[in-house]
Amino acid sequence: MSDPADSSRRRQRVERWFPADPTRVGADPDYRFTLANERTFLAWIRTALGLAAGGLAAITVLDDFAGEEALGIGLLALSFVTAATSYRRWALNERAMRLDEPLPVSRLPLAMAIGVAVVALVAGVLFAVDAAR
Amino acid sequence: MTSSGGSKEPRPTVVFDRMLQHERTALAWERTAIATIVAGALLARHAATIHIGLAGLGVAQLIVGGALLIWTGRHYEHLHAPLRAGENPAHPRAARLVGITTIGFTGVATVVAVAALVT
Repeated sequence: MSDPADSSRRRQRVERWFPADPTRVGADPDYRFTLANERTFLAWIRTALGLAAGGLAAITVLDDFAGEEALGIGLLALSFVTAATSYRRWALNERAMRLDEPLPVSRLPLAMAIGVAVVALVAGVLFAVDAAR
Repeated sequence: MTSSGGSKEPRPTVVFDRMLQHERTALAWERTAIATIVAGALLARHAATIHIGLAGLGVAQLIVGGALLIWTGRHYEHLHAPLRAGENPAHPRAARLVGITTIGFTGVATVVAVAALVT
């Protein structure tokens, strides 16, 4: 048996990552804003898929290359983080637009920049090590 | 203005969506569907090196991408009238479905890559 307080806590945890349908609050914004938000969401989804494709390609294509798995798994982990936050971003943006509030701040672009920079740096070092072998 | 033949409904005579938001969004959906297909194919190829049955994970994603591509084209067509009527085009179900599918896919791909390393 689950007591109500327990299930409400669980719902809160779920809604932290999967916010409820934002179209239930506020008023319809200009259709162009809704479509711009949708395109931004899709761009994040493609970024996640692109990182996953890059990670899988690094593992599959780079043979006999020291650290290929580390490189690939790093990219795949980055892609998972990106995917995990995409829907949330869309829902929070849509909600803010409907309530005529400022858009929520996102740390995702910064995290993405740092993550990709780290992967690129590691890849550069690995290539140098591989060339020196 | 005369309507160009073929279509049942008369062509609209008022300019709408001058900045082509609708078409740009449809193209964003299509690119996303294509990226889904490509990522699925890459996972299928990699997963097959562990076990041929695991390739099914990538093929499933590939099929999802194909279905998404078809839905996207139809959705573009269906949205003309509501947009002209001033209805809001937000589609939370589609966003949720694509969001969760991509989380699942990237999670599975990460697990497969780690499993390939261990085995």
